[in-house]
Amino acid sequence: MKVEILYPEICNLFGDTGNMRYLMSCLRDAEFIRTAVPDEPRFMKSEPNLIYMGPMTEKSQERVIERLKPCRDRITELIDKGACFLFTGNSMEILGEYIEADGTRIEGLGVLKLRSRRDMKNRFNSLFLGKFENMEITGFHSRFSSAESEEQGFAEVVRGCGTNAASLTEGVRKNNFFGTYLLGPLLVLNPDFTQYLLKLMGSEARIAFEDTARRAYAARLEEFRDPKRHLD
Amino acid sequence: MGSLRFYFALWCAKLIKLLLVLIGRKGTYFSGKAAIKICPDFLGRIGKPGTIIGVTGTNGKTTVCNMITDLLEAGGADVLSNRLGSNIDAGVAAALIDGASLSGRCRKSVAVLEIDERSARLVYPYVKPDYIVCTNLFRDSMRRNAHPEYIASVLTEHIPAKSKLILNADDLISSAIAPGNERVYFGMERLECESEARENIVMDISSCPDCGRTLKFDFRRYHHIGRAGCECGFASPEPDYKAVSADFENMKMKVLERGEEREYSLISDTVFNIYNELAAVTLLRELGKSPEDIDKALQRTKIVRSRFREESAGGKKVTMLMAKGLNAVACSRGFDHVSSEQGRKIVVLMYDDIFDEKESSENIAWIYDADYEFLNSDDIVQIIPCGVRALDGKLRLLIAGVPEDKITTLRRESDVAGAIRYDDADRIFLLYDVYRYEIALKVLDEVMAKIREVQR
Repeated sequence: MKVEILYPEICNLFGDTGNMRYLMSCLRDAEFIRTAVPDEPRFMKSEPNLIYMGPMTEKSQERVIERLKPCRDRITELIDKGACFLFTGNSMEILGEYIEADGTRIEGLGVLKLRSRRDMKNRFNSLFLGKFENMEITGFHSRFSSAESEEQGFAEVVRGCGTNAASLTEGVRKNNFFGTYLLGPLLVLNPDFTQYLLKLMGSEARIAFEDTARRAYAARLEEFRDPKRHLD
Repeated sequence: MGSLRFYFALWCAKLIKLLLVLIGRKGTYFSGKAAIKICPDFLGRIGKPGTIIGVTGTNGKTTVCNMITDLLEAGGADVLSNRLGSNIDAGVAAALIDGASLSGRCRKSVAVLEIDERSARLVYPYVKPDYIVCTNLFRDSMRRNAHPEYIASVLTEHIPAKSKLILNADDLISSAIAPGNERVYFGMERLECESEARENIVMDISSCPDCGRTLKFDFRRYHHIGRAGCECGFASPEPDYKAVSADFENMKMKVLERGEEREYSLISDTVFNIYNELAAVTLLRELGKSPEDIDKALQRTKIVRSRFREESAGGKKVTMLMAKGLNAVACSRGFDHVSSEQGRKIVVLMYDDIFDEKESSENIAWIYDADYEFLNSDDIVQIIPCGVRALDGKLRLLIAGVPEDKITTLRRESDVAGAIRYDDADRIFLLYDVYRYEIALKVLDEVMAKIREVQR
């Protein structure tokens, strides 16, 4: 079992390293490959069971786009083949067509039909409750950008905001590629989804610390469902 | 000054302040808020003192502000400050209102203003400090501050061109703000007692800002604080005021000031408070105060008791340690401090956001940026995550490798004193969020009462 973490030295904002820490607890024998910015991604020559990238600063997005440009075709190939990807926060924007920012356009990799717009004067914060298949997804948004997408959404919006203010879905799902604006320890917060992802990755393992994780999830769900509690 | 609207705003604000005082409310920023609402450019019109000192940065600004104010007051200055109030534009306005006469003229000679980084765009167009101290820039609340690169860009855009900056040379992010401004750096050599930092989760700068290569640290104190360089020639700036040694036994530090060695009394034995003290000393030296006068005042200064407090009974020491909740770096500093202390220890965690627990649900992402791993050590025998997010705290601790039998989850703080395994430890640490001070104080009393009861 191999998990590739892309550019962890810069794609690590907002507690997202919690995802990989938790996965390490779930998959104690797995190899976690930390690919640094100067290195060639491992997925260029092999097929890890999961390729993960977390959120980054806006400047770092441009750097990552430059680094991943030569990998564009391989990423497309892997997504088409059904390889597992989890891209959180603004990292999915990297794979989109472009990012619009202050009147300029930063070309993305064009792997996804997704166009994002950044507004550094307005930060959007919200809790999120959604549905993915028969699972409830909880998470947090904290972002400067939103996106238009023609891809299938990752989760239906139950409470909170989707990929953009008018969208009924959040994020992108393309085969086993999961992209979401949700950030923070998504896998820790969502035991059902994590169990589902482990299976997709080809593991029979149970999620780590299952009892505590499920009790914390249940407590959070109760709060997220409560209409008296505000989301922002 | 001038304008009928300004005077109306000033008098309304003064009246509001008076009414708040009469009904016993602190009202630390309401008067300022009202004044700005009535007169949007109120901050530009109100009278200001001859010297204005601004203090900003992620961590330590309140401590530095308090030190500077205390040290200036000890020297006889009539200081206006927002030390008891808010650090946003309304708090700054409220402080200036307090210091102004009914005609709007300032009655004080110096202002020491804590200014929230994000309020830069609202404050600096009107209030142009002669000096701005920036303590450091770290990852802070993601909702408010996004990330330090963003905050650095906000400060660079809004800091007035005439402000002289007092900056931390050991912080590659804050030391680079407003590059066109005149600046003085403070910093700290590796102290004799210091070992290389343990790995921190948060490392907000790891690549060279000039060429993008991976930075090489000669010495990393914690997170990105330390001395770094790159093969392209980029390097941390050289401090003008550099602490070269600290003697914790006699509570003294030696500071090399542009080549000349001076000695100052230390007011705390923690490294992050030495940085705070250095920032204050650098500012005062730049204001022309003598090292002797500064040292005399330092000898009478203490860290505010709400931030750090210790009580002992029955051979047990109980320590209250405040940190901003939602701020992973501040909490990690606390964890580092606890783990470096001697003895068998029990740690109580009271970091839940007091507002979200009632009205929303806390974004707990920050706890995965905080170094809970530091609490996974043999001499920490019990950890008590407490509050509505106790289960999240427990899960975080389990992921950090803490054995489950060491973790006690509690929903209410009132149960802490009864849940502590007193026989197992001689040190008890109460770690709490800024807004939980009163609650933590109550827990302290209950724990001390329990210790005394056991003693009898």
